[in-house]
Amino acid sequence: MLAGISSAANISAQKNEETGLYSWVAEGDGFSIELIQLLPDFIRAIYMSHDFPDAEVEEIAGYCVFGTIIKNTSQQQLDYDVSNWYYTDKRGKNYPVKTKTEWLEQWRKAGVTFSWTLLPDKGTFYMDDWQQGFTTIKLSPESEFTLTYKWSINGIEHTDKFEGLRCAPEQLSEQ
Amino acid sequence: MHLNNYLNNKFLTLSLLAVFSSLITLGTYAAWDVQPKLGYNLTPVPKPVPAPGFTLEDMDEEKHSFKDFHGKVVLLNFWATWCPPCRREMPSMERLYQKLNGENFTVIAINQMEDGDHVFAYTGQLDVDPTFTILFDKDSKVSNSYRVSGLPTTYLIDKKGNIRYRAIGGREFDHPEVEKQIMKLMQE
Repeated sequence: MLAGISSAANISAQKNEETGLYSWVAEGDGFSIELIQLLPDFIRAIYMSHDFPDAEVEEIAGYCVFGTIIKNTSQQQLDYDVSNWYYTDKRGKNYPVKTKTEWLEQWRKAGVTFSWTLLPDKGTFYMDDWQQGFTTIKLSPESEFTLTYKWSINGIEHTDKFEGLRCAPEQLSEQ
Repeated sequence: MHLNNYLNNKFLTLSLLAVFSSLITLGTYAAWDVQPKLGYNLTPVPKPVPAPGFTLEDMDEEKHSFKDFHGKVVLLNFWATWCPPCRREMPSMERLYQKLNGENFTVIAINQMEDGDHVFAYTGQLDVDPTFTILFDKDSKVSNSYRVSGLPTTYLIDKKGNIRYRAIGGREFDHPEVEKQIMKLMQE
């Protein structure tokens, strides 16, 4: 890995007028990341439909889960590793993002063999490659935080901060 | 007893599907379901490797072995019904299949950890029912052998059974550039 570059991504936020849920996109230096708020009940429904034990369903629904879309917008090789990403809570404390590998290890012990839906920990993307999956942040509904994420293009590491993110509410508010 | 369990499971599944449908109808997850414009670039594999073999069942529980397709260029796609980009790229796979299917080319879509009833219900909702081969990888052993880490992932395999191209994430498979790559492999 070559010396890192601190990037400055263009960040845009979008509110779904129908539901009040937010999504954010950050784009810069060959990498695009989109985070979409998901309700705890949606997460419960997903994992219940895959026969997860109740305790596991409740555990992941207790996280702040985002639909996450990452994309290689360059024409070069892009690598990412979620185990290098971290989030910072409102008090300024940093925490690692729980990875798919960590979830799978936990689920395996609980007898679960289903291994999809979460954003893969690591990836090597070429032109037009992209990936979609859940990212889990251990914060309560409506918490605000900053996500620091890293990727590399042709071995040159880039780091950026996704500020102003907020977990989904427990439920949709009355329209 | 067995029938009761079956009906209970069926009821639960249908209830959950109804919940999902309601949520989607409400537009709650529209942003999650409609995502980036699909590209068309497939990445050449620098050193082609033999595609791992497999034997899997189709919707009618009929077994298919990968070796049965030897001599054809194969577009091998790993997917699931709950995966939004998988759903988006499927119509382009069917158009590609309709255009090029024959002695030298086929499409195989390997579903991950779902059952025939579920997939049948899903394909019944599509504008065009897929006519290419859909196989069931109920324990994800085949996707593991292909080192698939996320869905969809697609491989283009040559007539000798070597992986020549790969794509991570959805694509428009009937794009002229993809067709050109497939035709080239068909002519080898």
